[in-house]
Amino acid sequence: MLTVLYDSSCALCRKTRYWLQDQPKYVELEFVPADSLEARRLFPDLDHASTLRDLTVVGSGGELYRGAKAWVMCLWALREYRETALKLSTPETMPMARRLIAWVSRNRLWLGSAMESLGFQRRTS
Amino acid sequence: MSIDFLVVTYCFYLVISISLTVWVARTLFRNGRVFLVDVFHGNATLADSVNHLLVVGFYLVNLGYVSLALKLGYDVTSARGSIEALSQKVGVVLLVLGGMHFFNLYVFSRIRRRSVLEVAPPPVVPDACVVRAR
Repeated sequence: MLTVLYDSSCALCRKTRYWLQDQPKYVELEFVPADSLEARRLFPDLDHASTLRDLTVVGSGGELYRGAKAWVMCLWALREYRETALKLSTPETMPMARRLIAWVSRNRLWLGSAMESLGFQRRTS
Repeated sequence: MSIDFLVVTYCFYLVISISLTVWVARTLFRNGRVFLVDVFHGNATLADSVNHLLVVGFYLVNLGYVSLALKLGYDVTSARGSIEALSQKVGVVLLVLGGMHFFNLYVFSRIRRRSVLEVAPPPVVPDACVVRAR
């Protein structure tokens, strides 16, 4: 099982969380809002401020993945996207993935609100 | 008594096409088995079953095509005409067999890719290790 610490205050992150939740999986994903009480309880010695900057994934043995690596791990957990994760994580493609993820991560707030104003609906469950 | 070249052509066509189909199907059956046993992690019963089903499909499609493509549409009156017609018909059957064979290989590789993906380890190394409560 992988625990995904996501920024619950950002629309794009919430959207992505529901998308991930709906995909068929090889490995179960558990979603916990970053820097929440639940997150602090689960991982007492984690730097929680950093989990608000980058998507963070923690494996069942405590393995911590941040940013692009966390994304690769999320895709790796999905049946339909494991191959993409393997392709994305080669030494040739990883730097590009890292830059893309860092950009999306920095701009996620306005990307999310842009998506919502373009008519992507808000989901609550 | 004159020879009916058309019937002779048909007979040769059937014998050659059916033999080729049997040969390709047997090759597929023999070599596919080893491959499928590996894909199904040593489960020989399942591998044999899938192998058998694939080969049955292969036979049905090929023999179906051979049967449909039998009719020549023009008369053959000489040995030369017979050989030419035969070569054309058998050529197309060979191409269809080749196409089907590659399609089967593609199916095998798809099955294999799935099974390889299922056991693929995480592709990235963790940044750190943290303690998980509970």
